[in-house]
Amino acid sequence: MILALTEAQVAVRELFAGLFAKEATPERVRSAEPLGFDPALWEHVIATGALGVAVAEDAGGAGAGVLEMALIAEEVGRRLAPVPFPETAAAARLLARCGATELLGDALEGRLIVSLARAPLGEGGGALEGQLLTDGAVAEVVVGLRGDEIVAVRRPPEVRLVANLGSLPMARWNVAHADVLAAGDGPRGWFAAALDEVRVLRAAALIGLAEEAIEIGAAYARERRAFGIPIGTYQAVAHPLADALVAKDGGKLLVWKASWALESGQPDGPGLSAMAFVFAAETAYRAAQHSLHIHGGYGFTAEYDIQLYYRRAQAWATVFADPRRELQVVADRAFGPLSTAQGAG
Amino acid sequence: MDFTEPENWKRIRAEAEEFAAEHVTAEMIEEELRTGDGVSRPLMEAMGRRGWIAPTWSKEEGGAGLDPFEAGVLMDAIRAAGGPTIGSGTTMLPANAIRAMGSEALKQAVLPGVAAGRTLICLGYTEPEGGSDVFACKTRSVRDGDEWMVNGQKMFTTFAHRADYCFLLTRSDPQSRGSHGLTMLLVPMDTPGIETQAVRTMGYERTNIVFYNDVRVSDFYRIGEADQGLHVMRAALEAEQNVAPAAKIGRLLEAARSWAARATDGAGRPMLHDPLVRERLARLAIDAEVTQLLGYRVAFLDQLGAKPGPHAALFGPEAYVQWSKEVIDMVGPCALVAWDDPEAVQGGAFEYHFRSAVASTIYGGSSEVLRSLIAEQTLGLPRSRPKV
Repeated sequence: MILALTEAQVAVRELFAGLFAKEATPERVRSAEPLGFDPALWEHVIATGALGVAVAEDAGGAGAGVLEMALIAEEVGRRLAPVPFPETAAAARLLARCGATELLGDALEGRLIVSLARAPLGEGGGALEGQLLTDGAVAEVVVGLRGDEIVAVRRPPEVRLVANLGSLPMARWNVAHADVLAAGDGPRGWFAAALDEVRVLRAAALIGLAEEAIEIGAAYARERRAFGIPIGTYQAVAHPLADALVAKDGGKLLVWKASWALESGQPDGPGLSAMAFVFAAETAYRAAQHSLHIHGGYGFTAEYDIQLYYRRAQAWATVFADPRRELQVVADRAFGPLSTAQGAG
Repeated sequence: MDFTEPENWKRIRAEAEEFAAEHVTAEMIEEELRTGDGVSRPLMEAMGRRGWIAPTWSKEEGGAGLDPFEAGVLMDAIRAAGGPTIGSGTTMLPANAIRAMGSEALKQAVLPGVAAGRTLICLGYTEPEGGSDVFACKTRSVRDGDEWMVNGQKMFTTFAHRADYCFLLTRSDPQSRGSHGLTMLLVPMDTPGIETQAVRTMGYERTNIVFYNDVRVSDFYRIGEADQGLHVMRAALEAEQNVAPAAKIGRLLEAARSWAARATDGAGRPMLHDPLVRERLARLAIDAEVTQLLGYRVAFLDQLGAKPGPHAALFGPEAYVQWSKEVIDMVGPCALVAWDDPEAVQGGAFEYHFRSAVASTIYGGSSEVLRSLIAEQTLGLPRSRPKV
């Protein structure tokens, strides 16, 4: 039982904390809206090797693991960095598993943005029909599961940004053609593993977001005065921040444990990844909501940063799943799945 | 980062389970449910022989030389078997304060008996009008030659009627207020003038009111400097807040899971297949996991010599109270049946947890006090309570 990060992991965290503190300032986050993508920042992220951090060295990556990806995601969340991180990092690992060397090289070198289609693709024409892709407005390729195959779909010529709450680069693609990257016994399991990585990385980003939302709220509560004293003196203001802080600390440990468990192939890894997603989603929303609320009317104005966090606390979870529905995933994994015969009742 | 359970934990847990199978008897558990004392002398002495009362102390001091994680695994296993450990566990808070700040002679006189499981020390902090405002102490101590004369009244002194000593907070400077002018005394409970009165609780626990009338205590039993009891108290309170509380939520989860696997609905389907049951159990499992991780965080930071803060002491009990209620909602009327009724389900666990949980967000620092400490110490917010 070692709860400390290694020196190398601390270095990863500090590298990205430093990068985003400098290159993902609130001004840059705002100016990247509504698309939610900052090309110059993305170049930095590619150049620092973020996408390949958990890809094997012989496949062009750094050979680290899910925890290192999660540490990067946490820093993305802390600064709301306008880059498509969780899905692209999970996609890179999936490409490596499929042996899709060329596409992986394009992704790691930054020639193409390769993301993930969360829901299974339909058979035949219009493979992606109906799916709102999290990174669809900026990705050149999305990788998804179609039956027993992992397939890659190229971006169509016309893509319309779907304006949204979280300033995410969402879009729908209407594409008939898909290239098969892998088929056989592996793909279903590989894709499930990729989705579990997205769960953990989304959770990590939400925990980073929560941590900064709490700090923004605490900083405001230390300064802002009402009835003659700083509002942080009032327990109705302070105590929910303390609850949020404790939940954030617990959520961070849960993310780290889930990352470790997925990487080391522990049987409870998938269950922990769903637990981490649910807990982080709820923790981030509560933290951002209270922090915004104690800003009073100012929290509601576009000028204050807390609204940037509040909107994303919701959107970053919703693009992946309804946390309450994910509880059924937790149950399937912790207590065994419902048999189909029972499910029909 | 490595969450693998180390081999030595498994070994210690197996040893503790084997020990509990031999020493924690059905009669002992039943006696505890009937008396609510939180004390079993035979269990204490058996633990003491193995160095398990003070497991983190060195073997020379009568401990077992375990690290905080190993000690946690050990105590969890004994508690899970139903062994009454409130008395011996609480004793360690003042024992550690004496070990850190007591005179050499006092340490020699008291600590070997503690480690051996022969000596129980109860906590004399709270007063009838004090509660969370622990430094509103009115119990007076007056220096008289080599002795102190103590007069006053303490509340919620659990296992006082079984204890050898009370770790007593007294006001020695009559002009002082708040946290100043206090002196800590270790009062032998057989001293004339001490009267203990039982207070029954709804949670199968007994506690006490203790009256001190002209109680004479040798200065030998003073801990720390006279009028400087704050330093001793602060160390003891922090030790209490910076612990991973006994994770009863894990036992509640096990009981609920076990019920869901065995109980069936009207159509004969296991309750574990009901989506509402699955949703609740999943959420409970998450809170139990987070409670456990925050507990590990305490042991980890403790090992580094850092102060973890009362995070685990806030989250665990709050989650435990919430789930002690929701599990009853889920299980239904049979969850209400008491442990000593022949129809008890899961040994009456659900009724027991509901009765017992609510106290966990009060003793060892109420949740409100803990939230204020976190707000001040970690978030840098202004102090909300008036400073005296």
